[in-house]
Amino acid sequence: MNSINTDTAAMNRIADILDKKRDMIKLSLSACVHCSICSESCFKFNSNKKDPTYTPAYKVINSIGRIYKKKGKLSDSEYDKIKILIWDKCVLCMRCYCPLGISIPSLIACARSVCREKGFYRTYDETADGPEI
Amino acid sequence: MIKAKRKPLEELFDLTKGFQRILCVGCGGCTSVCLAGGQRETQMLKTDLSQLFRENGKSAHISVFVIERQCSPEYISDIEDMIKDYGCVISAACGAGVQLLAERYRSKPVFPALNTMFVGLDRSTGLYQERCRTCGDCQLGYTGGICPVTCCSKSLFNGPCGGTNINGSCEVSRETPCAWNEIYERLKMQNRVENILSIHPPMDWTDKGPGTLIQSGYESRYIKK
Repeated sequence: MNSINTDTAAMNRIADILDKKRDMIKLSLSACVHCSICSESCFKFNSNKKDPTYTPAYKVINSIGRIYKKKGKLSDSEYDKIKILIWDKCVLCMRCYCPLGISIPSLIACARSVCREKGFYRTYDETADGPEI
Repeated sequence: MIKAKRKPLEELFDLTKGFQRILCVGCGGCTSVCLAGGQRETQMLKTDLSQLFRENGKSAHISVFVIERQCSPEYISDIEDMIKDYGCVISAACGAGVQLLAERYRSKPVFPALNTMFVGLDRSTGLYQERCRTCGDCQLGYTGGICPVTCCSKSLFNGPCGGTNINGSCEVSRETPCAWNEIYERLKMQNRVENILSIHPPMDWTDKGPGTLIQSGYESRYIKK
């Protein structure tokens, strides 16, 4: 298991982000009844053979849910997995529908903010050699 | 997607040199994808701008924050608490994102970090080509999927003009293919060459102010009768 990077400045910023969104995260996580209705409105779920890891609720619970419960103290490999969930498996199209009114995009965006502070974010030239300098 | 390019650093310095605290706000949308305004590019902007401030004997505290999508009101509230600590904002979004930020935080000067170039396609990583000018009256159905507004040097709706070179290039530049020659070849390949004979009325380019788009099915929500 990878070690947990506890860069103090980054952890403080993460704590700030989680603190500001605490009420929304807490309420959303407790309100989700795992009905999976949100999956029907997710085009990524529908276009990936209904793979359950594309279910919006799954993405929320396993990204910001994990981050919130562990106060951002996750290993790099865990952040890597979260990065795949919230960037590769979600495009923030904001079409996901929750009958209970949970704002799934806001939660994913919050998870992205935390990941950015930890230095995990999607780069769009990952497979290329990078810019010529 | 929208393609953008970073403004010259000197221009950004000129705009922000009077401020002590500057917030550089990246965008996780289109400008991230075109490698102009994402997390990494905004951090690079901060580094470059800090260096220029130092070279000019000035100091400024520059911070970076990335909003997932600056053209969406839902996300731009993320900086609400922090923006009060800064004198100005540099936005690495497209022109729409800059304007939404400026509209939401009216008391703060919001400067664009990028020049929004065009709606284009990705040829390769870091290589983009303009393919759409969002004219609002798409002609691609008649022109074999080649846009005359974007690809013709004269944006002719009914072409070609008389300036096509024998090798199929444009009279403006031999390096530029004649769009209407390409349209003809494409339509011929599809047995639809008669399409080129139909005359299309000129586009109404008159300035009508900023456009608003309401998708079908949403009219009753936004249009009051």
